[in-house]
Amino acid sequence: MASLSEEVLLVVKRVRQRKQDGTLYLMAERIAWGPEGKDRFTVSHLYADIRCQKISPDGKAKIQLQLVLHTGESTTFHFSNESTALKDRDVAKELLQQLLPKFKKKANKELEEKNRMLQEDPVLFQLYKDLVVSQVISAEEFWANRLSLNSVEHSLSNNNKQEVGISAAFLADIRPQTDGCNGLRYNLTTDIIESIFRTYPTVKQKYAENVPHNMTEKEFWTRFFQSHYFHRDRINTGLQDIFSECAKEDEKGLKSMVTQGVKNPMVDLLSLEDKTLDEGYGTATVPTTSNSSNKSLRENSNSAIIKRFNHHSAMVLAAGLRKAEAPSDQASETSSTDGNSRDSDLFQPPLKKVKLQEAIEYDDLQGDSVRKTISLNLKKSDRYSHGPIPLQSQHYSTSQDIINSISIIQHEMRSYKPRLTQVMSSSAASSAITALSPGGVLMQGGGQQTINQLVPTDVQSELKHLYTAAGELLRHFWSCFPVSTPFLEEKLTGHLEEMLQAAYNKFQAWQTRRMMRKT
Amino acid sequence: MKLNIDGLLVYFPYDYIYPEQYSYMLELKRTLDAKGHGVLEMPSGTGKTISLLSLIVAYQKAYPLEVTKLVYCSRTVPEIEKVVEELRKLMDYYTKQTEAKNDFLALALSSRKNLCIHPEVSALRFGKEVDGKCHSLTASYIRAQHHSNPSQPVCQFYEEFDAVGRQVPIPPGIYNLDDLKDFGRRKGWCPYFLARYAILHANIVVYSYHYLLDPKIADLVSKELAKKSVVVFDEAHNIDNVCIDSMSVNITRRTLDRCQTNVETLQNTISRIKETDAAKLREEYSRLVEGLKEANVARETDMYLSNPVLPDEILQEAVPGSIRTAEHFVGFMKRFLEYLKARLRIHHVVQESAPQFLKDIYEKVCIDRKPLRFCAERLRSLLRTLEIADIADFSAITLISHFATLVSTYSKGFTIIIEPFEDRTPTIANPVLHFSCMDPSIAIKPVFGRFQSVIITSGTLSPLDIYPRILDFRPVTVASFTMTLARTCLCPLIVGRGNDQVAMTSKFETREDFAVIRNYGNLLLEMSAIVPDGIVAFFTSYIYMENIVASWYEQGILENIQRNKLIFIETQDAAETSMALEKYQEACENGRGAILLSVARGKVSEGIDFVHHYGRAVIMFGVPYVYTQSRILKARLEYLRDQFQIRENDFLTFDAMRHAAQCVGRAIRGKTDYGLMIFADKRYARADKRGKLPRWIQEHLTDGSLNLTIDETVQLGKHFLRQMAQPFRQEDQLGLSLLTLEQLQSEDMLQKIAQIAQQA
Repeated sequence: MASLSEEVLLVVKRVRQRKQDGTLYLMAERIAWGPEGKDRFTVSHLYADIRCQKISPDGKAKIQLQLVLHTGESTTFHFSNESTALKDRDVAKELLQQLLPKFKKKANKELEEKNRMLQEDPVLFQLYKDLVVSQVISAEEFWANRLSLNSVEHSLSNNNKQEVGISAAFLADIRPQTDGCNGLRYNLTTDIIESIFRTYPTVKQKYAENVPHNMTEKEFWTRFFQSHYFHRDRINTGLQDIFSECAKEDEKGLKSMVTQGVKNPMVDLLSLEDKTLDEGYGTATVPTTSNSSNKSLRENSNSAIIKRFNHHSAMVLAAGLRKAEAPSDQASETSSTDGNSRDSDLFQPPLKKVKLQEAIEYDDLQGDSVRKTISLNLKKSDRYSHGPIPLQSQHYSTSQDIINSISIIQHEMRSYKPRLTQVMSSSAASSAITALSPGGVLMQGGGQQTINQLVPTDVQSELKHLYTAAGELLRHFWSCFPVSTPFLEEKLTGHLEEMLQAAYNKFQAWQTRRMMRKT
Repeated sequence: MKLNIDGLLVYFPYDYIYPEQYSYMLELKRTLDAKGHGVLEMPSGTGKTISLLSLIVAYQKAYPLEVTKLVYCSRTVPEIEKVVEELRKLMDYYTKQTEAKNDFLALALSSRKNLCIHPEVSALRFGKEVDGKCHSLTASYIRAQHHSNPSQPVCQFYEEFDAVGRQVPIPPGIYNLDDLKDFGRRKGWCPYFLARYAILHANIVVYSYHYLLDPKIADLVSKELAKKSVVVFDEAHNIDNVCIDSMSVNITRRTLDRCQTNVETLQNTISRIKETDAAKLREEYSRLVEGLKEANVARETDMYLSNPVLPDEILQEAVPGSIRTAEHFVGFMKRFLEYLKARLRIHHVVQESAPQFLKDIYEKVCIDRKPLRFCAERLRSLLRTLEIADIADFSAITLISHFATLVSTYSKGFTIIIEPFEDRTPTIANPVLHFSCMDPSIAIKPVFGRFQSVIITSGTLSPLDIYPRILDFRPVTVASFTMTLARTCLCPLIVGRGNDQVAMTSKFETREDFAVIRNYGNLLLEMSAIVPDGIVAFFTSYIYMENIVASWYEQGILENIQRNKLIFIETQDAAETSMALEKYQEACENGRGAILLSVARGKVSEGIDFVHHYGRAVIMFGVPYVYTQSRILKARLEYLRDQFQIRENDFLTFDAMRHAAQCVGRAIRGKTDYGLMIFADKRYARADKRGKLPRWIQEHLTDGSLNLTIDETVQLGKHFLRQMAQPFRQEDQLGLSLLTLEQLQSEDMLQKIAQIAQQA
């Protein structure tokens, strides 16, 4: 089955497996071993199937490498080339070490996905039990069909995966611990780093600029924590500090946010007041001109904290929203109208109107308050009301026709006059009514509805399982057509037939068992 | 629905009505019938505005000769716009029901900044800049110059309006600020001047307090409003402070320096004009003898709004000879300025009354009282004569002249305090002269005197009897309405202790106490874990908030809160706070939840509503007393005690409690809304504090929730929130707190309604 196109990454000769000498091949997607002198692999594992590798400890006589599969099986290779065994093994190990993680993720994801599907869908789970566990078809075949079915939806759901927001307290999670010898230890996880980067893009930028070239990662973070940037009063950031630039950048960002102003006119404190008193009027204490100079250092640092909290919260919020903005372009029509072009006066009124209306609304005073519904936006309403219909020269009425006919009927109804001479006799009418009422002559056909009461539930469910199992097999069967590859042909003529036979047998067995029980 | 309010047919644009709205309209009708003034307190979110509008519009339609105009004053621009939108709803309903064409004209008026459509002028950011620029394009002499010299820029919108706009009346309808702008753009007319002109014949005018209370603006805008108008002050719980602010002046050394340059500029301009165009100054001189007399005639006939800066009586005389010529006046101003400079060169605090000040100025620099009184008017005339385009540059000298006129006009109700430095920084010299009004009734007196009905209304006016006293008027109706509720959607709790039993209070002696700060922090932390969406917390002052935030940061409390919610904090910068506020709402909107730390008496507490999920809990940390060490406040308290027999403590508590009520009331904006109100100070439990809360909050304050620990608060809060989160439908309310027309007419209900209004 080895396709020749596979890239061989490493070949190690004189590797024993089950006391047989052979050659170990490490290829792009799998690891394989073939006995000496034969061109067939007797052992072949996809990397995705391998859970881990184990090696014999140094100094042991036998130099071995063991592969443990997800299924629990394991394969052991014994490197028997006396002179280079250890080196061979290490090379293979190194390579595997690099390769395995790449596939691991995929494998795990697949496994998880399968697991999830089985857990979420009891019918599927039953089917799995019926078909795979009872070995009608193999697990691989079962999934081969399934996963491809779901792949489209799967990839979709992957793209739309909900972006997880950032905890506002992520910096608080990095509790410094004293390490006993006059130092502090900060525990950073990838999550926290990710959070820092997402919230403070300037730090990320610094990281990208500096990390591999100028300093190690560890050094970078050490400096980060030493920096005043991290500490509360960012007033005295030294010039040599690489983060002083970040602080400045942040300051700038905050300023620009402030000057941009707010979109919602209801919270704009600047334009709240209609006529502010001129400078010099009023009893409020006059804002002192030399404000910053006569503020104490402590007050300055206090207001720096407040500024920082506002900034931090805004950044955390923005980091959470950044991703979400893209797909919601039409979902929030109001937010798109207020857009960025708020300078032009033309765009402001709609949002303002909406906000004003919201503010004066009393939904409980309003009569039958109209539920806010999402209006269905149809390009072609005919299509919606008639559903997809095979293209035949079939005449169907357009909605205009329907409306017309309704109006005609309405019109007729309006001008309808009962012709009292031609009505049925009362006896005939009453007999017709009795015949149509439950228990009447014409209402006898209600027998079949009781069938689900006649058959006990366990029998029903067994039958259901058999039915779905057979259906699944038929699906496999039909999916083989058109028979385009020899593989499919083999599947069709070979084991699929067997499978169907097996299923049929199963059904037969069930039937006879039921019959037996009945008689 | 159509209602019968005491014999008056009222169109109400909803299918249902709250019982308290009906009761409110009844009281209002009585006030209008009696042609008197009223004080009405009704909780926010019970449809106060629409009730007011419905009734007064109906009254106007029924008795067009009795009430000709409604002047609706509100506080902020969004509030004004909301009122106009509600009015639009009402008018739509009228046209739908009566099928008659609407002949009502209603409009909003705001400052030039909100109404200007001139492409260059409206691009300016600050109101003052817009005003100045507008003036430099529309002043009468600029336009005269434009006639002879077409290259002189003018505002084409104003020109257009002046040419055509006055002849053609604005068609009936409802004009909000944006509608006025649209209309102006369509016609090419200036919306601001159009609106100012149109308020004279409009049926309803909606604008800000200042247009009626601030004499400097009222004189320009509102002086021709008819006597038979009904004036409504909505959100009037702070009206006394607005009155006081509009009459008070502060002078710093910087003001004086700028005034000095103003005087120099004036002097240079005068000497220049004298060389080129001496006739102009002569003309002014003769106009001063005659011109003011003409104005005097006009005032007598029309009963104009009197201008406190320049009251009626002194207009009987012409400007005194000593300041009639331009040079003499400038020389006079110089002398006055030097005197003020000398007064600011002191090392100890001086407090004196206006007569004392006048006596001193007479002794020192021989300035008489009479020319001082004419200062403002004389300066206005001079600026006009000298054709000074940018009035904004002369704000310093205008301020000084206003001070001169005020100090020489009023001998009572004002005080002068000169402080050489701020209390907090005794080493830095920063002398300030406060000329402070202590009597709010001075500014509002002309309003009460002139209009037949003035209604003062708000969600928080308790205790009701204090407003008539401090504003010095006699109302015919004083009533407080409760909120009828189908479920108790507000939950006031007083937290007095931490879990460690340490008393929680912002009392001055203990506010810096470590345990108090920690307990406050724990309260917020615990609440952040149980309250969904938004929490708003108010502190008593900005400095206190800064300190607490800093120590919470050090104790790691904020970090723990951040695990639950995002934190936003009000700052002293309005733009920054707006941004924080918007982000806060965003965070509430997307489900993250957030906490807003804010300050009582700050901008947020006064103007921003936290409806529904924007505020599920309000925490009031401490009792928001005003800074009691301020000399201005002390002087005012003394004055209140002497003049109105209001005890200092009573007033301070009243002031603190109305701000606390405002803060906690921000979260409940209607009957479908719900929220926790947490008063975190044991002093709230005392009867004198509790009794000053509005009735609709007091009612729900049970004896069991007067002195809770944090844990108990959390338990009660959890229970309350869980109950409130259940679906709440209209049917649940119907018949209890929401009535159909039939239910309203039943005898039973009418009796119940009669109990809603509590007469004070």
